Amino acid sequence: MTNRRSFLIGSAALAALGATGVRPAFAQADRLRLLWWGSQDRADRTFAVADLFEAANSGMTVDGEFLGWGDYWPRVATQTAGGNAPDVIQMDYRYLFEYARRGALAPLEGYRGEALHVDDFDQAQIEGGSVDGSLYGISLGANSSALMLNVAAFEEVGMDLPGPDTTWEEFAAAMTEFSQATPRQNYAGTADGSGVEPLFENWLRQRGKALYTADEQLGFDAADVTEWFQMWADMRAAGATVPPDVQALDQYTIETGMVSLGRAATSFAHSNQLVGYQAINPEPITLSNYPRVGADGSGGHYRKPSMFFSVASQAANPEGAVAFIDFFVNNPEAAAVLGVERGVPESAAVRDALTPTLDELGQRAVAYVAGLGDLAGALPPPPPAGAGEVDFALRRVSEEIAFGATTPEAAGPAFIDEAAGILARG
Amino acid sequence: MTARADASIDIAAGRANRSVLSRFWERNGAGYMFLVPWLIGFFGLTLGPALISLYLSFTNFDLLREPVWVGTANYVRMVTADPKFAASMRVTFSFVLFSVPLKLCFALLVAVALNRGMRGLPLYRAVFYLPSLLGASVAIAVLWRQLFAADGLVNMFLANFGIVGPSWISNPNYSLWTLIVLSVWQFGSPMIIFLAGLRQIPADMYEAASLDGASRWRQFYKITLPLLTPVIFFNAVVQTIEAFKAFTPAFIISGGTGGPINSTLFYTLYLYQEAFAYFRMGYASALAWVLVVIVALFTGFAFLTSKFWVHYDD
Repeated sequence: MTNRRSFLIGSAALAALGATGVRPAFAQADRLRLLWWGSQDRADRTFAVADLFEAANSGMTVDGEFLGWGDYWPRVATQTAGGNAPDVIQMDYRYLFEYARRGALAPLEGYRGEALHVDDFDQAQIEGGSVDGSLYGISLGANSSALMLNVAAFEEVGMDLPGPDTTWEEFAAAMTEFSQATPRQNYAGTADGSGVEPLFENWLRQRGKALYTADEQLGFDAADVTEWFQMWADMRAAGATVPPDVQALDQYTIETGMVSLGRAATSFAHSNQLVGYQAINPEPITLSNYPRVGADGSGGHYRKPSMFFSVASQAANPEGAVAFIDFFVNNPEAAAVLGVERGVPESAAVRDALTPTLDELGQRAVAYVAGLGDLAGALPPPPPAGAGEVDFALRRVSEEIAFGATTPEAAGPAFIDEAAGILARG
Repeated sequence: MTARADASIDIAAGRANRSVLSRFWERNGAGYMFLVPWLIGFFGLTLGPALISLYLSFTNFDLLREPVWVGTANYVRMVTADPKFAASMRVTFSFVLFSVPLKLCFALLVAVALNRGMRGLPLYRAVFYLPSLLGASVAIAVLWRQLFAADGLVNMFLANFGIVGPSWISNPNYSLWTLIVLSVWQFGSPMIIFLAGLRQIPADMYEAASLDGASRWRQFYKITLPLLTPVIFFNAVVQTIEAFKAFTPAFIISGGTGGPINSTLFYTLYLYQEAFAYFRMGYASALAWVLVVIVALFTGFAFLTSKFWVHYDD
């Protein structure tokens, strides 16, 4: 009896010890942890490159993990705060400055030339990955915002697709005409872009304004917002756009874009998404630049580093992490696997070797980013803290107007107040 | 002499204490050892983080930098300068006010219907309970999105009658109602509890009532309802708490935005946005504690008033 009791006590104590004795096995020198956001397609390509890296560097193992954009940032933030950051972190322009300035990322300046070869990178993209004069993020590809167009829907009604010189006035007229001409049911010329932040930013830049200034303030005023919302309200009233309750289905992903849902011939997206759009749309898709404010003005576009790889300051083996990044952006085999899924490669050598091997769609995406020419300007300053909430607010206010809860005249000043309040709070 | 006597008393007392302790340990030690894993979980994973969040609610904390003490500023901002707090309160209270009574009525209705000793009862019970198991899941929220979208099943059905339905989930006038319908559809777990409660009501009461010529409705009103009040009370409290905590359907159906126009911005969804979209952990913690207080107030109110309408018939 006593024997059984002491056995029970003993095993319970063992169980308790076991519960406290779990030792996490992170921060090992020969094991790299890698975290990124993106689709399954991106994951397949990334894991394949990790295998190539392991084969080329015996003794190294790469453990990769990926999430959707929305879940990704809470994960990175909690792991960084918990002292358990992955060694290689996929970074976005929006967050690079925040993480670098808070000491969460390792400066990569010292590795340049030796372990990290970025000399044939586009200089602007190197600067895009630099914070306060030091390099923190290696750009994995360039892209730019773009219209996604359903070619078949335009051909069906015998209309020209929007082109490089199409102005907003012409765009509005054409989309209205399309909506009337198309034989498709519940089908409009264009998605309602009044709540799409990159589109609004492009329009502002063409007018010599910006979304945010370098000193983290709003780069536009109430008159700009009102005019923007009024322009869309007119298009909506003319029937150029999808109705508001259809537009509200758009979660700004490839799958929920109005072109993919079969509700409009035009969506607003990014050039590297052309491949993804075509993958789920049976009809041919192409891309074009955003409409222009005036025929002689600038295009408002910019070549954006679509994403970076950064090294965590907590990384146990920063040299290994840098070696992996160098392999990722320079190795020809890796480049062949990655294609242009993360955007157009930054290294000129890689780009030249890769381009002829791409299919027609990939080549078109590369040509689009390379051919922006005068339409593209300088990279804007990084968005300040709170920018994510302003993005949400723009979308909400655009819905309020579309559903008739407010007017463009009232919404303009109200949006400026709200956005300024959000930025002040950070 | 006295000092020595005191000392010996102390020693004796110490011995007595030790023997009480060791007797306690002998009697309950194994039990507590078995509880240890749970206790570690409770203190380490529930109580500890809850207390830390109480501290954080008085700070600004963005996960990357140290928390900065701001006193009651988070709570003050909530009631004085946060239109989204007010909007999310409106949405959540509307949801609780409509979904809980509707769900309970529906659950009671089905329970009464099933309580008439029909064949295949276990099967029906299982079928009606199924939505409760699935309802809070991501898959069902995605399904709901398909059902109530512009060209979803609901509108295809309505089209048979020549009705062109709106896109229910993406129209601010209807979106909350689709979530209320989703919640009512998960009536299974209160229904099972009602069914158990109905089984407890002695059959001879109904016999006596029908001998006296009481109608079905009168029997339900005079016998079933009063005797079921403890179960109604329990279900109402549990379902109210559940409704305040609702998150997944709104998150999935609105894509995390709470839109269109904040029409599905549940309180928990707003809390999630503040914490995990904008990294304001301090403010989110304050929001969480306000929710705790609100739920506690509702539950307390229910218990206080229960003596006026809940009959514990022994």
